[in-house]
Amino acid sequence: MAVVLGIETSCDETAASVVDDDFHVLSSVIESSIDQHRAFGGVVPELAGRAHVATIGPVVRRALNDAGLDAHDPGIAGIAVTSGPGLIGSLLVGLSAAKAYALAWGVPFVGVNHLEGHLFAPLLEQSDLEWPLLTLLVSGGHSLIVLQSGPGHHEVLGETIDDAAGEAYDKVARWLGLGYPGGPEIDRLAQQGTPGKLKLPVSMTGTDFDLSFSGLKTAVVRATQKQRDVAVADVAASFQAAVAEQLLRKLRRAMEKYEVRGVALAGGVAANSALRAGVIRLAQEFGVISHLPSMVMCTDNAAMIAAAGIYRLKSDGPSPMELSARPNWQLEDVT
Amino acid sequence: MNLLAIETATQACGAGVRTSGDVEVTRVLDLERRHTEVLVSGIATLLAETGLVARDIDRVVVDIGPGLFTGLRVGIATAIGLAEGLGCGLVGVTSLELLAHGAHDAGVRGMVVGVVDGRRGEVFVQTFALGDDVQARGGPSVATPRDVVIEWATNGASVTFTGDGVDRYNADFNAVSNGQILAQSVPSLHAALRLGASRRPQESVAPLYLREADAVANFTTRERPV
Ligand SMILES: [Zn+2]
Repeated sequence: MAVVLGIETSCDETAASVVDDDFHVLSSVIESSIDQHRAFGGVVPELAGRAHVATIGPVVRRALNDAGLDAHDPGIAGIAVTSGPGLIGSLLVGLSAAKAYALAWGVPFVGVNHLEGHLFAPLLEQSDLEWPLLTLLVSGGHSLIVLQSGPGHHEVLGETIDDAAGEAYDKVARWLGLGYPGGPEIDRLAQQGTPGKLKLPVSMTGTDFDLSFSGLKTAVVRATQKQRDVAVADVAASFQAAVAEQLLRKLRRAMEKYEVRGVALAGGVAANSALRAGVIRLAQEFGVISHLPSMVMCTDNAAMIAAAGIYRLKSDGPSPMELSARPNWQLEDVT
Repeated sequence: MNLLAIETATQACGAGVRTSGDVEVTRVLDLERRHTEVLVSGIATLLAETGLVARDIDRVVVDIGPGLFTGLRVGIATAIGLAEGLGCGLVGVTSLELLAHGAHDAGVRGMVVGVVDGRRGEVFVQTFALGDDVQARGGPSVATPRDVVIEWATNGASVTFTGDGVDRYNADFNAVSNGQILAQSVPSLHAALRLGASRRPQESVAPLYLREADAVANFTTRERPV
């Protein structure tokens, strides 16, 4: 069985994983520096870079050990590493280490697009994936609706024209005096609140599948100033419902236009309970299979990078040792 | 013992190999901050030229700075990947001591100040006394070029300045009448190989930043792209 080592360092998670070519995850290790960033209300690039260089060695060693491999002679088929998009100083740590491991072991390495990695996450948990597949990829940095005709074949139907969904969560959480990152905080609070208590508009900007979240924070601010008696839990629930509503409306529109056999969620915001419930309902309504990754597969991890790398190594071959990081690498440019 | 040296503390990127048969090849691979692109392929080339494969490396020695943060992380992540992957020894040396040893190898004696460009109008400096050997006088620190220049011009002692920080602030350092300049824009790879061979391998190495992340003062955030 050929196995691939995946390495992910695009933001604040230092992650390594071993995956076999049947997409079985043999190990997955994730270390996050998020605690260091909390006080700043966002990921501080320099702190993230420092954390990566301190943890990359131990994280890879643990991933190899957990998979039962010899850390000095793992006998792997190749290495997949996120080479973009992401924070440049963070990407460079994983990329440099990946090249070095590749040279040490005499194996090929391939640079993987982080977003394509997210698209491969469902393959690691569900063997009954059906294509074409519509994926809603939502995270702190990205919000896209992607049509996949098969693994590695994707078309971006729409994406956010301003903030990512996760950014809106962070901004609203800050406004409400909640902690960072905002997603889990608001999601938790929303469970105790009633959606709709705060009147919020659902942005349907654009005629197609593009998304927009920048107006939502302003709307929350205005609405809470007008309706001062609304409980914070109700604000959280109302905001969360408005985000999910927009995403699900756009997703529905895409499902009406494109004949698909599955619908999937990916990215950190895919951990959101309202969104998960909505996608299940939508799938039932259209009679297609829904793919909801586990919480650990929603957030950044290296197993998904290894999975995408297995595909890219087969279809495109290895990357050159001269490969540089691409902090703004768009999914549209992955072919 | 077969040694590999990695140098990425400045704008330049370099690597060196010394074989157990005392064949030594050192090379500056690039001068323009293209560490990521040139380093590992450069190492592969040097290994091939010296008749080695990666598995033959017994020890990796890496410049841990002070210097450019991004460059340091590229070099150190590469060193960690090689040492972890091969299960070989790892040794960290500082950019400033490499400059001092480079000056010693060039025949300089007396007081030497290693000066590495720290950007933002600052330099990383450390003073050494060079006689039969190289002795550090105090630890590395951050200073403005002007402060370093005033300190030495005031005390009047004979001194040699060396490093890319001197290149950058050449006019300032030239103005010290009791000072001389030794051109040495890249910390010595030859010295790195020699020091690396003479020291005990370390459990781990980390960049010597000498400066807090800007986060504390005026940080720029970027929202979390999970
Ligand atoms: Zn992500």
